[in-house]
Amino acid sequence: MKNRLKVLRAERDWSQADLAQRLDVSRQTINALETGKYDPSLPLAFKIARLFGQPIEAIFQDED
Amino acid sequence: MSVASNAQKLSPRARRALILMAVGAPVGFFAGRTLMWLKRQGYWHGLEFSTSDVVSLGLAAFLAAVGLVTMAVSLSRKALGRRINGDEAARAATPAQAGFYAGQGGVLVLAAGMLAAPPLAGALFVPLSPLLASAVMTGLIALFLVQTAGNISLWVRSDELMRRTMAETAAVSYVLLQGLLFLWAAGEKLSLLPPLTLWDAVNVNMIAYLLISMIVAWRRGFVD
Repeated sequence: MKNRLKVLRAERDWSQADLAQRLDVSRQTINALETGKYDPSLPLAFKIARLFGQPIEAIFQDED
Repeated sequence: MSVASNAQKLSPRARRALILMAVGAPVGFFAGRTLMWLKRQGYWHGLEFSTSDVVSLGLAAFLAAVGLVTMAVSLSRKALGRRINGDEAARAATPAQAGFYAGQGGVLVLAAGMLAAPPLAGALFVPLSPLLASAVMTGLIALFLVQTAGNISLWVRSDELMRRTMAETAAVSYVLLQGLLFLWAAGEKLSLLPPLTLWDAVNVNMIAYLLISMIVAWRRGFVD
């Protein structure tokens, strides 16, 4: 699954650690999400969508 | 291109690893030589270890070293921040992160103690009396309970990536090791393979678990 997390984070000038703190996860989780090595759970995806004020499908796209 | 300019290109992590290797190799070599000399001189009489014991003591030493380094780093939130905050290394770790990594180091040290105690007790006290064996076993059960509580506490404090990594490691380990156990048991039953002790199986289990956890953590992006 592709995502725009890195772009959205850069637009706000947040570091990975900043975003991790806001989402209450580790920085490693943010890194794994941004590099596409890990897809978030539905609760975390909703949390990310709420934080950036966008619908989930505007942040995460299915690669199929 | 000079060696010095190549060395400057190395990341701080690679430089630290090289320094540790440069220090560790001669220390290990001379420690080994000294132990062999002590044994030849008869100072180490009776302290005999089987191959299986040597493997578990080696594993225990590895776990203890990693655990102690993790605990030492977690004592300084700045030092821990440099290790875990990637693109923002100047950011200090939070108290919760320091506590989490201290806990991780703690369970590794406890695991090391549990792996080392049975072969050490068997080698240091010959013959091992039933009373002493019972005392060691009681201590091991206590360590096991404390370590289990520590592992549960780490699970509760982990985020979803960490839990996913632990769960995947457990699943892959189970599938792989139960298959290996079956094949070895079948080979042993058919007199094609030598018999294994349960302690041998514990060593294989631990080595496989460590390797699998490293591969899963790498695949899941724990390493930048």
